[in-house]
Amino acid sequence: MKLTLLVDIVGAGLMTGGIYALVALGLNLQYGLMRVLNVAHGEFLMIGAYLTYSLHTAWGVHPLLTLLITGPAAFVAGLVLHRLLYARVVAESESREALESRSLLLSFGLLFVLQNTALLLWSADLKGYSYLSTPFHVLGTVFPANRLVAACVALGLSVGFYLVLQRNLMGKAVRALMQEPEGAQLVGINISRLHGLCFGIGIAMSAVTGSLVSMLFELTPFMGLPYTVTALVVVILGGLGNVMGSLLGGLLLGLVETASVYLVASDIRIIASYAVLSLILVLKPSGLFGR
Amino acid sequence: MAARLAGACALAALIAIPQVVTPYYRSLTLAILADVTLTVAWAFFSGPTRYLSLATGAFFGAGAYVTAVAGSRLPWPLPVVAAGGGGAVMALVVGALALRLRGPYFAVFTFGLAELTKHTPIWYETSVTGTVGRLILAPPAPLVLYYTVLALTVLAVTTSVLLRRSRWGYALVGIGADEERAATLGIDTTRVKVGTFALSAAFMAAAGAAMAPRWTYLDPQVFNPLVSFQTVIMALVGGAGTVIGPIAGAVFLGLASEILLLKFRYVYMLALGLTLIVVVLALPSGLAGLAARFQRRPSARQEPITPL
Repeated sequence: MKLTLLVDIVGAGLMTGGIYALVALGLNLQYGLMRVLNVAHGEFLMIGAYLTYSLHTAWGVHPLLTLLITGPAAFVAGLVLHRLLYARVVAESESREALESRSLLLSFGLLFVLQNTALLLWSADLKGYSYLSTPFHVLGTVFPANRLVAACVALGLSVGFYLVLQRNLMGKAVRALMQEPEGAQLVGINISRLHGLCFGIGIAMSAVTGSLVSMLFELTPFMGLPYTVTALVVVILGGLGNVMGSLLGGLLLGLVETASVYLVASDIRIIASYAVLSLILVLKPSGLFGR
Repeated sequence: MAARLAGACALAALIAIPQVVTPYYRSLTLAILADVTLTVAWAFFSGPTRYLSLATGAFFGAGAYVTAVAGSRLPWPLPVVAAGGGGAVMALVVGALALRLRGPYFAVFTFGLAELTKHTPIWYETSVTGTVGRLILAPPAPLVLYYTVLALTVLAVTTSVLLRRSRWGYALVGIGADEERAATLGIDTTRVKVGTFALSAAFMAAAGAAMAPRWTYLDPQVFNPLVSFQTVIMALVGGAGTVIGPIAGAVFLGLASEILLLKFRYVYMLALGLTLIVVVLALPSGLAGLAARFQRRPSARQEPITPL
């Protein structure tokens, strides 16, 4: 294999993987902590992307600055949704299974609502804008500069969040809750407050990823679900509740997908990620890095 | 007895309908019958066991492809029968793998399966045959289609009634209540689950095969995830744990979708999402559960099983 092809695959793979890691981290925060599988996760990414698009094209806000708007807005939306929907289901469900299936159905409902609201607001046409699409030379190959910026921001946020979880008290509480929900309750961690907080942060991560994605690709209201599936693959790959696993899993999936696109064909990408998902689910449901 | 009488009246009306109404209403009834078949078939398995299957679209689409590929070579009802058999075999293979999973893992796996079965023909058609869609040549007459689907619906509803009364049906309820306990009591849970999953898939695929000639042109978009979701929502709105629930839900939402989907597509889908949220929060056992609550309030034992 030629060196440039290798640099191409690894570079593009890591850039895609950085995006995957951030969106997966957000999903893992919801599923790992609350056992709420939010299939509308990618829809928040889509909404974030459209918000950035609208802010940038209508008022000329710099795309990177919109992150400071989409992130907090999504965080608040997450808090509200948690209070209105998920907290009720968590409180009412008699068993973990009932909670899992009811919250899954709730998020399917949410998916329909968000996707069709976007269709009504922004129509089904492709939307996009051009930002920093200047070439950037690395080791003999060329990447568009916007991909590099987006990937760096995504990776920076993911690693930053990981470090926050490792260092401060709230992070400790979150990790405790992920590892041993009942034990965490026994040592006096306020579960419902933490759930809401993490749900909000998870959704904010998705929306911020959307803002980054909007710099790279054209937008459609249907773009969310593929990201949800990707995030799920990564979460299952890296293990539920395993933050580092999501980070590494995201990068790994980015590499695998990019390699399959470069080496086989571009339409194999989706088949490849579903195949990975199915295989992991059947062979090792605890994830590659699971205990 | 009253239920049997109502069933006979409904059947008589459904047989008479295409003879008296305009083609538009015939086709509307046909679409709703297909919805009822899918929803009742979904509830065979997912109703009592509480395994949330999102593979309906996969089996429905696969069935439609059977008609598209073999329809012109086989005399009419045979593609439907072949699709039923094919769907059952597909479900046996998938079920043996997937039914080891529980909870959302199972739902995600079946959803992944639906997407995989959608993207595989896309990839195959573009890279091998070089086309995207297929024409359905020489479709059967509209009346033939109508009675085929009606026969499937009747068969599905009858199966659903018989299943609930059988030992097999009790085994399914037992699995839904507590799978480990059911296994301890001597139920071969794997066989019961995979068998019922295959039975329900057979009906879904047959419905796909029977509905395919309506489109004349078929492409992989027939593996529509909306089919999977809509079936779940219909069953849950009606109440998945009863015989009448899935039928009521499918008729109610089927009518709404046929009338609203074309005119106000996005508003309809938005309303569908809101309905799902409200049902999950307020009506955990569907319309049928609500009716049962009003009928026999004091005895909790008569409540239909909460589906999810």
